[in-house]
Amino acid sequence: MIHPKSKQVVDARYMAPPEPFVRTMEMLETLKPGETMLLLLFREPHPLYKVLRQNGHTYETELVADGTFEILIWR
Amino acid sequence: MQALLSFDKSPPFAAPLRFFLTAPLFALAAGLLLLAEGADMFASRWSPGLLAATHLITIGFMLQVMLGALIQILPVVAGANLQHPLAVARWLHGGLSIGALLLASGFLFAQPALLSSGALLLGINIAAFLVVTGRALYSVPTTSPTIGGLKFALFGLAGAVALGVVLALALAQGWAVPRPALTDLHAAWALSGWAGILLAAMAYVVVPMFQLTPGYPARPSWWLPRVLLGLVLAWTLAALLEWPLAIALAQGLTALAGIAFAVLTLRLQAQRRRARADATYLYWQLGLYSTIFGLFLPLTATVWPALADWPGYSLLVGILLLVGGFMSFIVGMLYKIVPFLAWLHLQNACGGTAPNMNRLLSENAMQRQFMAHALAVALLLAAVVRPDWLALPAGAALVLANGWLLYNLMGAVGRYRRHLAEKVPA
Repeated sequence: MIHPKSKQVVDARYMAPPEPFVRTMEMLETLKPGETMLLLLFREPHPLYKVLRQNGHTYETELVADGTFEILIWR
Repeated sequence: MQALLSFDKSPPFAAPLRFFLTAPLFALAAGLLLLAEGADMFASRWSPGLLAATHLITIGFMLQVMLGALIQILPVVAGANLQHPLAVARWLHGGLSIGALLLASGFLFAQPALLSSGALLLGINIAAFLVVTGRALYSVPTTSPTIGGLKFALFGLAGAVALGVVLALALAQGWAVPRPALTDLHAAWALSGWAGILLAAMAYVVVPMFQLTPGYPARPSWWLPRVLLGLVLAWTLAALLEWPLAIALAQGLTALAGIAFAVLTLRLQAQRRRARADATYLYWQLGLYSTIFGLFLPLTATVWPALADWPGYSLLVGILLLVGGFMSFIVGMLYKIVPFLAWLHLQNACGGTAPNMNRLLSENAMQRQFMAHALAVALLLAAVVRPDWLALPAGAALVLANGWLLYNLMGAVGRYRRHLAEKVPA
């Protein structure tokens, strides 16, 4: 999936928990310094935010009109 | 990866569980009361038995699960952490349970001391909960409609409880208050300002997550809690100024907003990607249709006030919104939350060898119990028209549905405890 915000996207909008979390962590492991990834979800993943902060990642969230939270993550 | 799954510093299982297992007992008690009182309970909205049963369900069942679930999920849906969740849960659970029993007995036996003590105990406990939760919630920024909705809902709960305490004390002490107008206002704060806003805020998260539907569109999601709280404030002002036209308008617009939310949720459910209709889906379908009918009545009464004079009107609205609507949404969510929490805690304890959630609580067991609940809703509605024939069967169905709910939840907890004791791969 291509998205204007990032080349690496986990579209977890129709996935049951804990798959969105697992997929995101898997993609983060492959992320090189300077690269970004984008997580798409219909909710704000507060438990994931906590893990991201603990692991030294930075994130920026935007809620778009259709109810998708676009979470851009980088280190 | 498994270690990372234990990411969530969630409260111990016992914190929410005590609420979830006590709630069915109160609904069961409401059913037993109906069996004891029979057709008399349907005589009017002011009958002592009906007031007792209503509060067994709204406080003993609904509020019990709502507040217990909030303690559990505030960190997950809002990133807000309560201080000492287990201690808060213990105090609140005791206060709510004893308070609901005192209040209901006060109504039933017309005992001023029971009414006053129940109302004060509830008021103090809920006020303390509001302080603790408010501090946690207002320390996080409003980054989603869910967090915004939760913040508004706390105001709604404060208003509902304040009016409830005043009404109970007025009844107990014989204060002269305009009881029908204040009772309508209390119900508006409780059902729209608190329960309705809370339901919407939670639905934004759980409907897409549990049923794999599209998300709620952002703009209406931000607006709905503001509109509902604004309308209940307008309703309050209109009641203070004794301006019936404005009260009717606020009531009609509240009903319209609720119907719009229910229709939107039905449309999202129609686009779900989970093909199987599970118990939660069935419960929400029943809840949404019931809510739409339940709100259609006050909407009609806005343009045709004579409808509200029919004695069965309040009873029908109450049964549709409380038993058909809110109880259905709540049980539907319990059936996801209890097996999920059991699984999560087992997963953390057993290092990733937890049994499948379906083995903790089978889909079949939940769907059969759903049929009993649907039967109870149908019989209660029919009993409004023929209480002499149907009050007792309706009471029996309510007892059956909630005894069965308790049996299902206890079964899941029992299997959880066995697995935990054995720590054997399933």
